[in-house]
Amino acid sequence: MNNGPLIFLGLFVSMAISWVTFVLGPQAQLADLQQAKTVAPLPVSYPNTPPGLARQGEQVYRAAGCAYCHTEQVRPAELGSDLARGWGVRRSVAHDYIYDQTVMPGAQRLGPDLANAGLRMDAMAVLPRLWDPRTVNNLDAGHSIMPAYKYLFDVRKIGRAPSPDALVTGSAFAAPPGYEIVPRPAALALAAYVASLRQEVYLFEAPPPPGSPAATALTAATNAPTGGTNAPAGGTNSPAGGSGVPALPGGSNAPAPQTTNANVK
Amino acid sequence: MIATEVTTPAPVSRTDLEATGAVPLLCLFAGAAVWLLLALLLALLCSLKLHAPALLASGPMFTYGRVRAAADAALLYGFGVPAALGVGLWLLCRLGRTRLAGPAVVFVGALAWNAAVAAGVWAILRGGGSGYEAFEMPGSVAPLLLLSYGLIGICGILTFRQREPGPLYPSQWFVFGALFWFAWIFSTAALLLLGSPPRGVLQAAVNWWYEHNLDTVFFGFAGLAPIFYFLPKLTGRPLHSHYLAAFAFWMLALAGSWGGIAVGAPLPAWLVSVSLVGTVLTVIPIAAVAMNLYFTLKGVGPALEANVCLRFISAGLLFWVVAGAQQVVGALPSVGALTDFTPFTTAQRDLFRYGFLAMTMFGAIYYIAPRLAAAKSGAPDGRWKGWLAKWHFGLMLAGVVIGYFSLLVAGVWQGVELQNPANSFVSVMRGSLVGLRLSMLEPLLLTLGVIAFLLNFALLLRGCCPCCRREKAIGPEPRKEGV
Repeated sequence: MNNGPLIFLGLFVSMAISWVTFVLGPQAQLADLQQAKTVAPLPVSYPNTPPGLARQGEQVYRAAGCAYCHTEQVRPAELGSDLARGWGVRRSVAHDYIYDQTVMPGAQRLGPDLANAGLRMDAMAVLPRLWDPRTVNNLDAGHSIMPAYKYLFDVRKIGRAPSPDALVTGSAFAAPPGYEIVPRPAALALAAYVASLRQEVYLFEAPPPPGSPAATALTAATNAPTGGTNAPAGGTNSPAGGSGVPALPGGSNAPAPQTTNANVK
Repeated sequence: MIATEVTTPAPVSRTDLEATGAVPLLCLFAGAAVWLLLALLLALLCSLKLHAPALLASGPMFTYGRVRAAADAALLYGFGVPAALGVGLWLLCRLGRTRLAGPAVVFVGALAWNAAVAAGVWAILRGGGSGYEAFEMPGSVAPLLLLSYGLIGICGILTFRQREPGPLYPSQWFVFGALFWFAWIFSTAALLLLGSPPRGVLQAAVNWWYEHNLDTVFFGFAGLAPIFYFLPKLTGRPLHSHYLAAFAFWMLALAGSWGGIAVGAPLPAWLVSVSLVGTVLTVIPIAAVAMNLYFTLKGVGPALEANVCLRFISAGLLFWVVAGAQQVVGALPSVGALTDFTPFTTAQRDLFRYGFLAMTMFGAIYYIAPRLAAAKSGAPDGRWKGWLAKWHFGLMLAGVVIGYFSLLVAGVWQGVELQNPANSFVSVMRGSLVGLRLSMLEPLLLTLGVIAFLLNFALLLRGCCPCCRREKAIGPEPRKEGV
């Protein structure tokens, strides 16, 4: 261990191994990930590019550091209670993020996971939570430790007619008489982004949980010819895709397995 | 300056050697300490927001997420990297019995680095953060960071190359490794995350890989270097085994660079498994270092307490072992299922960054800075105010321990409670607020400790006034030289 160049070489090789494994490896596997067909409930293309306002909102989310308290990743059923808590219908997988500009899966939950926030609320329901999370009328009313993002709103005098965007204020967070709370563009974008977060469809690599209605329908549709248990295998082995599968009730699910095998291992 | 010293054939004294690097290294240390103070104040603000969410919430600048990101950036890039570089360069000079190569370049690099960090932290507070944890520096600042790091790093490598021939000491490997490691991981992250971001979760993979390498390998190397130097030196014991040290070094480079991906992450299963294997394997270097230094120090006893530098460094070593062990435990799927995303991981991270990194660096600086100041001024050894240093140590130790245990307990409690989906998320959060709020004492006590250090540092530099004057001479006013 007295030879500088030799130590350098050893370090370089160590770094190269790590780099190839953790940077190049996933790159080779996932860089070309494309839209896939979902396996349930209906074979549709997933994911889709988010609307423009949501894309702007993603940058608001990034700039405000929302990811320091909120994750955007649902763990599989055997890890934690994410699914049992209703934070999602399935685990998050690589496909869910391919159209994110800045991927912010987060590392800490001081607030709930938001991977499926769009399933729980629409943009109009997000706005009051930004104005003041403690006034939101739900089970945890008044107990949230989230800061209020009042700077995303204008409190202004009502003009001739109320602004169409103004918060429909409940008694808890009413503006002073004659005033209205109007979200700024950043608030609207952020709300659109949060409401756009939804991972509700099932993919080849994230199939419906066994026993769920979607899973029953899927196995009924795809296993009929072989009787096997591995649902996707039947579909991809048959060149004709779903068309070779006998139509069963709920048979619209049949073509689904002909999906993402090429992209995802 | 160079001409007179090169012509002297006699072996140069240690003081002469150290005088060369005094100004740039003291500059690195001063900048690091000021940044740490700022990082702690920002972290304190974050903690206060857990008491009063409405605090400073009227504008976007001091919103929790931004302050959190800015605090991390100030800690890692303002404090961590410059302190590691300063201590590392000094070790390369001392162990290689040579001068610092290109002190003026290091000085310029240090100024540029600090300017870039300032611009970066400001940008983060203005909403320009990159969105990648531990790598929030915006794309406009990262090239300057890389450039100024390169200036300092190249001088480090040149210093290493011009060492006196002879066997290398473990600390030299560690510094040498750290110098390259940061350049590699930072340039990878900058190119991939800021230059041309890859698609989807690949960004997260690169981000997690970067953060893990930054902590475990770069800061690990940078902190172990002074540990391996000062513990044997100040206790007068030879290092137990160089082989064991070499083994730990290579294992840390190999296994420490694999990890950072949590078990439930939306990434391919093989990657998650490889990360788990690498993280678990870091048990080996941790055990090797702990054993090596245990046998080195066996029976030293109270001597460890005699010297403030030793106190800091031995505490740093202890915290490194604990933080490393906790990282391994937390990576196990059965534990991670409970503790991921909870303050359990924050406890580990803070223990590593404050308990290990900051304490080790301060221990080293307490030894190095007075010698640099004295070498520069030609005055007898500079003196720290002993009582201030002891306060600094006591405050830091208390802060780190209180913060660690309150976050650890809060994290484990949250993890266990959240297992039951009937417990609402917000109620569990509120239940653990005691721990989260108690952990506010950590940045508070550490802030006081760093203030004690800065006071001490200022007194030290004032105590050698010629040194201060010469420091100024490097600036635009050389006419003061003759004073």
